[in-house]
Amino acid sequence: MFGIALWSLTGRVVRISVMLNHDPLRPSGKRVQLMATCLCDAFYDDVARATVEVLEYLGCTVEFPEGQTCCGQPAFNGGDWVASRKVVRHTVKTFAGDAPVVVPSGSCAAMMFHGALLEFEKENDLPEVEALGRRTWELGDYIFNGLGVKTWPGRYDAKIAFHRSCHSRGTNSGPAIVALLGSIEGLTVIPFGEGEQCCGFGGTFSVAFPHVSASMGDLKLDHIQAVNPDLLVSLDMSCMMHLAGLAEKEGRPIKTRHFAQVLRDSLKNAGLL
Amino acid sequence: MNTTDREAILSRVRGALAPLPRRAPLPDWETELIHMRTRRGDVDAWALFQERLRLVNGLPLEGAASLVTWLEQNGWTRGYCDPELWPRLQAAFPATFTVETTFDRGRVDDYQFGITRAAGAVAETGTLILTDGATSSRLAALAPWVHIAVLQRAQIHVDLQSAVTSLADDSNIVFCTGPSKTADVEGILIEGVHGPGQQVALLLE
Amino acid sequence: MKFQQIDQFAAGLRKETRASVYDGSKKGYDARTKTLFDHFEDPDRLRRVAGEIKQHVVENLDTYLPQVEAKLRANGVIVHWAATAEAANQAVLSIMRARNAKKMVKAKTMVSEETELAHFLEKEGIECVETDLGEFIIQIDGDHPSHIVKPIIHKNRREIATSFEKHGLGAYNDDPQTITRRARAHLRNKYLEADVGLTGANFISAESGRLVLVTNEGNSRFCLAATKCHIAMVGIEKILPRDRDLALLLNLLARSGTGQQLTVYTEFISGPKSPAQPDGPEEMHVILVDNGRTDVLASDCRDILRCIRCGACLNVCPVYRQASGHAYRSVYPGPVGAVLSPLLAGKKFPELADLPKASTLCGACNEVCPVNIPIPDLLLRLRNKGKLEKSEAAAAATPPMGGWAVMASQPAAWKFALIGGKIIDHLPHKFIPVPALQAWTGKRTLPDWKGGEFRKWMKNRPRPNPALDTPENTR
Ligand code: SF4
Repeated sequence: MFGIALWSLTGRVVRISVMLNHDPLRPSGKRVQLMATCLCDAFYDDVARATVEVLEYLGCTVEFPEGQTCCGQPAFNGGDWVASRKVVRHTVKTFAGDAPVVVPSGSCAAMMFHGALLEFEKENDLPEVEALGRRTWELGDYIFNGLGVKTWPGRYDAKIAFHRSCHSRGTNSGPAIVALLGSIEGLTVIPFGEGEQCCGFGGTFSVAFPHVSASMGDLKLDHIQAVNPDLLVSLDMSCMMHLAGLAEKEGRPIKTRHFAQVLRDSLKNAGLL
Repeated sequence: MNTTDREAILSRVRGALAPLPRRAPLPDWETELIHMRTRRGDVDAWALFQERLRLVNGLPLEGAASLVTWLEQNGWTRGYCDPELWPRLQAAFPATFTVETTFDRGRVDDYQFGITRAAGAVAETGTLILTDGATSSRLAALAPWVHIAVLQRAQIHVDLQSAVTSLADDSNIVFCTGPSKTADVEGILIEGVHGPGQQVALLLE
Repeated sequence: MKFQQIDQFAAGLRKETRASVYDGSKKGYDARTKTLFDHFEDPDRLRRVAGEIKQHVVENLDTYLPQVEAKLRANGVIVHWAATAEAANQAVLSIMRARNAKKMVKAKTMVSEETELAHFLEKEGIECVETDLGEFIIQIDGDHPSHIVKPIIHKNRREIATSFEKHGLGAYNDDPQTITRRARAHLRNKYLEADVGLTGANFISAESGRLVLVTNEGNSRFCLAATKCHIAMVGIEKILPRDRDLALLLNLLARSGTGQQLTVYTEFISGPKSPAQPDGPEEMHVILVDNGRTDVLASDCRDILRCIRCGACLNVCPVYRQASGHAYRSVYPGPVGAVLSPLLAGKKFPELADLPKASTLCGACNEVCPVNIPIPDLLLRLRNKGKLEKSEAAAAATPPMGGWAVMASQPAAWKFALIGGKIIDHLPHKFIPVPALQAWTGKRTLPDWKGGEFRKWMKNRPRPNPALDTPENTR
């Protein structure tokens, strides 16, 4: 991440492959701030709850900064960087301190450690934004690499399909979560066709390009439903909202879960929680 | 030549680059980076070349006699041969063949095969290297359905890197990897689009 | 506009075309992955190094361009510079006129697509025949290429057979082999009759001044065997520093584009034919073309100038696969086009500013790019540019964010909205006049509104959250 700061200060294009590399310097203490994400705030309360329960099970102290809203990504992706920076500045203020910030979303995490830096490249407060980015962890990455928890206890009897969301491309999140899920007794992660493909959500893309978005989603659903999983699991509820909504509308519903819910329920099933 | 366009472009380039606080350096890279996994240093270059040429649908042959047999089997009896090569090959060709040593561009389709010299080869990729210096006629090596490039063992490079870094001092060097082909129509592979539909490497010591 | 233009185009695309594009690009991508990973230990490192080399060239064009010019001249090549498309076409025309040449055969070059050279020459009374099979079919059809490597990826054999019949190339026959043989016979005469052969260049080495051309069909080789004059139209960014860098880039180019180790013909051209050689050009010209590239160089998207036109990002792009190349309304489609086309458009940027929006930012393009261009970052920068320049094309169907930003930076307003949002569950969605909601629910259902529920739970749950800064909790 120091590499990144250097690049961006010199006004050069920041390379994604550099950006998304796991940074060993990120703080990994057990006092964490939870960035619940706007999606959990509005629709997926149980995902945020599961995140808290999982973190507390691991001995973390979870603080929830009440002032939090959104990471700023919708406007950033939509091209309205003026609006987005406003929200990012608010987020930086809200998540003051030096504790790790844990996010149950690959997409919002990437916004903090990659996207925001891009839109702040020429801003004076870039260092503050970078500092927050350095503290931000996607939940699975935090558990696996931050806390060093490599296997997950409990029991969960299911055949699941895991959708590795695109914002975790090139990060440690995908492999970390697959390893955690795969280690749960009773649980099998089953592969499906074109697993690397995007689901078609893409934020505002989903409403500005509804036809392409839905065609991409259909393709994804075809591949997933072909292997008949009990559950579709991801690290991003945005992808799940799109896929589940599409499947329901088309009369072929699919059960979706966030992996935090699976981790939590695995503990519950074994009486560990 | 348009000197104003030259100056305009160069000054725009300089203007565009001036604000950069520093320029990206030229990285060095070690040759091992592009060594193929399948690289086998110990293997005989001709043996490897044959294997790889077959993978791209080319045909390796050894000795003039085997070439003649193959041409006869396919009914290809009219062709062109590099005048410098012909004295060495002539004895192997029976009288049923018509072989010319000048290529008449007015009758390109009369030649079923063309025999010219290769300037080298790349074993790893099954590539034949043709140059202006070695090729007696560019058209003769391209227009007939069959192209036969005559090769010697000592001319074979192990890999692309070695071939590219020892390019001959020649204004026209062509790396030929198998017969001419296209997959433009529905991705279906068709050979012999504009150039040869058969690419032969003939080892002749 | 209700939806983005590319989405509308995709929605109206014929099923057959979509299937051709989807299958063609997926095949290309699968072949790429297989060859690269089968052949190399660490293909990603190859991509990174190749990207660094090209970035170096882009950022040092002021040194490399004069160097290349000098090398070319020393090799006996006549060098021209063309700042614009018109200048490039005029340069070609004046070379033709000086030789009293009437006929040209041309190989596939993207620069000549940019400058619409073939149309220009036809208007000047010069016959200009495309010799790449795909481009030839495009030319007789009056169509446009829809892929930078596979120009007719959108056509199936039946359509091709029909147009061959229409243009006097034999009775209807949709066997690809027959189609190819007929083109072979037809084009053969064109080569032999032509005065000038025109090609592009995939690379120029600054060390030796060699131009590298790659083709599979052998058409550029034929252009250079049959004609007496060679013109190469080359974008100013095509330079590589050293001959050995050619080996690295050649190892990546064909593998990335078509999944081949090497294309069938890789030509290294450094001048007119050798004196003893009976066939080929006695005169060689290189036209170094800007046509908007220096604008790109001056922008914060100059990384796109690393592009080696391999087509891998098109093949992998899920949006390209659904929308097809014509959806992009420009010479360069797909992810590379979404960056390059609006930038090359210069003043007309706002008209193409919707192209960078045609992406979910999934990052697959960056992952496959042989020169590791961070395409998603560049798309984002261009989205911002489109917004700042108030492009209508870019704004179409994009929910306005100003009000949202105000709300999302004021916790009280945010919390109020979380509670108030509940209304969405109680009103029939079709009566809520929010376009984004309409677009969402046209294809998908919406989950139940749970605004504020988590906050309530967090606050009221039995196990109180210990204060963050008690000493025992610090690490
Ligand atoms: S941007 Fe990269 S992947 Fe796309 S065509 Fe250019 S070089 Fe190939």
